[in-house]
Amino acid sequence: MTKKRTGVFVCHCGNNIAATVDVKKVAEVMGTEEGVAYSQDYVYMCSDPGQNAVIQSIKDNNLDSVVISCCSPNLHEKTFRDNAKRAGLNSFTCEIANIREQCAWVHKDKERATEKAIKISRSAVRRAGRDQALEPIAVPVTRKVLVIGGGIAGIQAALDIANAGLQVILVEKQATIGGHMLQLSETFPTLDCSQCILSPKMVDVSRHPNITLLTYSEVKEVSGSVGNFRVNILKKPTYVDPELCKICDDCANVCPVVVPNEFDLGLTARRAIHIPFAQAIPASYTLDESACLGLNPIRCGKCKDVCEVGAINYDMRPQTLIEDVGAIVVATGYDLYGQEHMNELGGGQIDDVLDGLQFERLCSASGATKGHVLRPSDRTVPKDVVFIQCVGSRDPANHCAYCSKICCMYTAKHASLYKHHVPDGRAYVFYIDIRSGGKGYEEFVQRIMEDDEAIYLRGRVSKLYRKGGKVRVLGTDTLTGQNVEIDADMVVLALAMEPSKGTEEIAKTLKIGRDKDGFLAEAHPKLKPVESVTAGIFLAGCAQGPKDIPETVAQAGAAASKVIGLLSQPTLSHAPTVARVRNSHCTGCEMCVSACPYNAISLENGKALVNEVLCEGCGSCSATCLRAAIEVKNATPLQIHEMIEACLA
Amino acid sequence: MINIQDMRDTARDLLAKNEVRAVIGYRRGSSGMNAEPVVITDAAQADELVWDPTCFHNLALYLVEDRKFLAHTRAKPGLPIAIVAKGCDARAIVVLMQEHYFKREEVYIIGMSCEGTGVLDERKLASQGIQASNAAFDGDDYVFTTAQGEKRIAAREVMADRCLECRIPYPREHNVVLGEDKTGRVLAEPFAALKRFEERDAAERWIYWERQFDRCIRCFACRSVCPMCFCDECVVDSISFPVTAQTTAEEKANRVRWIERSAVRSENITYHMTRAMHLAGRCVDCNECERVCPVNIPLRLLNNKMEREAREQFGYEPGASIGAPALVASFLDNDPEKFIR
Repeated sequence: MTKKRTGVFVCHCGNNIAATVDVKKVAEVMGTEEGVAYSQDYVYMCSDPGQNAVIQSIKDNNLDSVVISCCSPNLHEKTFRDNAKRAGLNSFTCEIANIREQCAWVHKDKERATEKAIKISRSAVRRAGRDQALEPIAVPVTRKVLVIGGGIAGIQAALDIANAGLQVILVEKQATIGGHMLQLSETFPTLDCSQCILSPKMVDVSRHPNITLLTYSEVKEVSGSVGNFRVNILKKPTYVDPELCKICDDCANVCPVVVPNEFDLGLTARRAIHIPFAQAIPASYTLDESACLGLNPIRCGKCKDVCEVGAINYDMRPQTLIEDVGAIVVATGYDLYGQEHMNELGGGQIDDVLDGLQFERLCSASGATKGHVLRPSDRTVPKDVVFIQCVGSRDPANHCAYCSKICCMYTAKHASLYKHHVPDGRAYVFYIDIRSGGKGYEEFVQRIMEDDEAIYLRGRVSKLYRKGGKVRVLGTDTLTGQNVEIDADMVVLALAMEPSKGTEEIAKTLKIGRDKDGFLAEAHPKLKPVESVTAGIFLAGCAQGPKDIPETVAQAGAAASKVIGLLSQPTLSHAPTVARVRNSHCTGCEMCVSACPYNAISLENGKALVNEVLCEGCGSCSATCLRAAIEVKNATPLQIHEMIEACLA
Repeated sequence: MINIQDMRDTARDLLAKNEVRAVIGYRRGSSGMNAEPVVITDAAQADELVWDPTCFHNLALYLVEDRKFLAHTRAKPGLPIAIVAKGCDARAIVVLMQEHYFKREEVYIIGMSCEGTGVLDERKLASQGIQASNAAFDGDDYVFTTAQGEKRIAAREVMADRCLECRIPYPREHNVVLGEDKTGRVLAEPFAALKRFEERDAAERWIYWERQFDRCIRCFACRSVCPMCFCDECVVDSISFPVTAQTTAEEKANRVRWIERSAVRSENITYHMTRAMHLAGRCVDCNECERVCPVNIPLRLLNNKMEREAREQFGYEPGASIGAPALVASFLDNDPEKFIR
C-alpha cells in the first residue's frame, strides 16, 4: 500500500447510524489503521459544521485523501467530494463508506454491526489509498431535445422547451398529435371541453419555429449518453403529401374499404384513407397501409384518381432519420386495461358494456353519436346506466395492484354528463371508496351525488350478463348489506390505466427502467420524480404512472425545466471514473466490446479503445475481460482486491 | 472410413503448391503406441503423418503457440498454417477465432471426422490388460498390435468418455474434410458422469473436491495443454508476469495477487475454480487437461458442469459459430435470472 495520509470521518446521522453502530469505536479503530493520519466522528457530517470540520482537518493534518463513513454515496457523495475540493484536494480522492443503508439500517446486533462498519470503512480507506487524482471530462452538449409521444404531456413539454429557445423534435406514433386527451369530451372538475382547450396547444406545436413534428413515426434506436444522444427515427409513409392535401374528403368518399375507427374506439367506422378527426395536426389524410387494398392502381387506385391536387403517392417509402439530441423526454402515455381481461364483467363480449374512453366518445360533440348518448346496440336512449369503478384496479390477486387514480373523478363526470344528456335516466355508480383529493374534486363529486342525483352504491359487481335487451348487473351494496340486481341499458367500466403498448420496447431502446407495474421508473420516488434512471432522459405523463391532466401538465413542465437546466450549460461534466485499457494485456478478443451496455468500446488496431464520453464506468468490461486488460479508474482490480482483503481480514 | 493416404496427399499438396507454410498434424510417437504432434514444413514429410485412435491431442494449442511465436519474433504470418483437426479441435479453433486470436484466412483446417469412433482412453485400455505398440481404426473397432499378435476390440469399450458423449463428432468448420459426418450419433448420454456425481449431497461433494484439490501439485500441465489458456499473464502468475516495454514501474510494484503460488488447498481450489470460470462457454471438452494431469484430478467434471449450465441456461454451444458473441460477453433480455434470489 502506498504511503497515504487519509482522514476518516464517521457520521452518527443522528441516531440513524449511532443506534446500531458504535460510531466512536469505528472512528477510534480507523485512527489506528495504516495510512490513516486522522479520524473523528461527528453527529451530522453533512451539516455545515460537519463539513467545515472536514475541511479544517484536511488543512491541519495535511491529508491527501478522505473517507466519509456515512450514508449511501447516492445521497452525499457529491457533497463530500465538493467539500474535499474546497479544502484543496482532488474530489476523486474522497470515498464514501456506506455504513447506514448497508449496515446500520439492516442490522440489529450492535457489536457485529460495529464490526461490519469497521470493515466497510477499512475497505474504503484501502480504496482511497490507491485513488488517483482525476479531473471531470468536459462534454459538449447538443442543444436539441427529443420528445417521444404527442399527447398532452409531450405537447406541453415540447412547447415549454421550445419556448426556452431550444430545438425540439416531437415524435408521435399516430398520424396526429393530441393523444387520449383529444378523445375526451369534457374534463373534470370544470367540465370544459377537452378538444377546445387542447387544440390551441396543438396549433402552437405545428406553428412553432423551434419544433419539428414527426407524426406516424417511431424511435427505433438510441445510442450515446446525456448531452449527446443519437436517435434513429422511423417515419412511416402516410402515402399523402401533407403539404398538398386540402382535406376535401374526396378520397375517403370513394375509398371502398371500411374498418373500425380507432379514434372512436370502434364505435364508428372509417375508410382506409382517413383523417383521425377534423382538427388533426398535421392536417392531412393518412392512408392506412394495413387496410388498403394494396397501394396498387391496378387493384383500386380510386383515391389517387379522385385527388385533384395529386397529394396521394403510392410510392412513398419509410424513411429513417438520424438526429443528434442532448436530452430526451419520454411521454408515451397510457392505454386502458383491456376489457378482455374482465371475464366476470363480460370480457368485452357484451354490447352496451363500454369502457370509459368509449363513453367519452359517446358524449363528445364530435363523437360517434354527435353528442347524443345512445346505446351502441340499438341506438336508443339508455334509461338505466351502471358505472363501475376500480375495474382492474386495486386487485393485486387478479389484475393491477395499483389505484388508477383518475377513475373516481371521471366516473363522477360520466354520471354527470349522462344526467345532463338524459335528465330522466338513472345513473348507478358502484364504488369501493371515493378518492377525490385535488382542488375542487371533492366538491365536484358531492355535486354529482346531490345535485345530479347519481345513485352511489358502495360495493363490487360480481357478474354481468345479457338478459333480453338489457344487461343484468349483479352486485352488492355493502352499506345496506343487500344484494343488488339492476337491469341496465348500458354499463360503463372505469378500467384501470396501464402503460401504453410499446412502453416495454421504448424502455429497452432507451435503457431506462420500469417499475413492477410496467410504468417507467423515476430515479427517486420523491426527489427525482421526472428523471429516469438514465441521465438526460426525463419522464412526463402517464407513462410514469396514472395521473390526471393537471398533474400531467405540471410534470411535463417539470421535465421541460430539467431539460432546459441541463442544456443551458455549454458543456456537461462527465465522471472521469471510466474504463482504461492496458494495451500490453489486451488480446483484442472483443468480449468487452459486446459486453459494454453503452457501446463505448471499439477495437482499434487490434486493441480495445474506450470512448470516455460514452463510458459510464459500470465495470462490465472489467468483469468480462479474462486477461485483466481493462479496468475502471479508481475501481481497479488492485483496489477491489485490497478492499476484499480488508473485508476478510 | 478415412484413408490415411488422403490426409497425407492433402498435406503434401498444400505444401507443394505453397498454399500453407506448415501443416500441424500427428506422427508416430518416438516410443510406445501413442501418436505425437508434429509440424511439417516440407511436402516430403507428409508421409510421416498418421491418423489413429491415439491422436488425442488438441492441436489447436499449436496454433496458439504459432501465433505467440509470430508475435514475439514480430514476423509477418504470410501464408496460412494448416492443421489437422477433429470435431472438438475444430470447435476450439472456432472459439479462438470468436475471440479474434487469429483470423479465419490465417488457418487452413484439414477436418477429420471421427466417424463415430473417437479416440482411445489409455486408462480403459490398461484396465483391459492390453499393452499395445500400435493402434488403428477399423470400422467400429480398434485394432491393436500386441506382443501376442493383433487384438480387435469394439471401439466403444475403450473409447474416451468424452467421445462416447460427443454430440457433433465432425469438424463443421473446415477447408477440407475427410470422412463421413456422423453427427447425431451419441454412444452414451451426455454429462453422464456429472449427473452421477451430482446425485451425491453437497457436503459429500465438497469433501470429494477437497480431496482432489489437496493432491494438486500446481504443475500447470492442465493450463499448458489448454488452447484456451492463451493469456500472456495468467491470474495465478502475478509474481512472474511478463514484463513488456509498456509495463510501468507502478504496475510492477502493484501487481494483484489473487492467488498465491503455494500448492495448498485454498489456493488450489481458487486456481481450479477460476480456470473453470474462465473456460465457461469456451471449453470444447477436448479433455486434454484431465488426460495430462499427473495426479488424475477429474477436471472434466468441472468443465462439464460449466458446459451444461451454459447449454441449459443460455442455449450456448461453445465453438458453434465464429460470428457469435462469446457466452460471458452477451446479454439477452430473456436470459434466465433464476440465480437472483
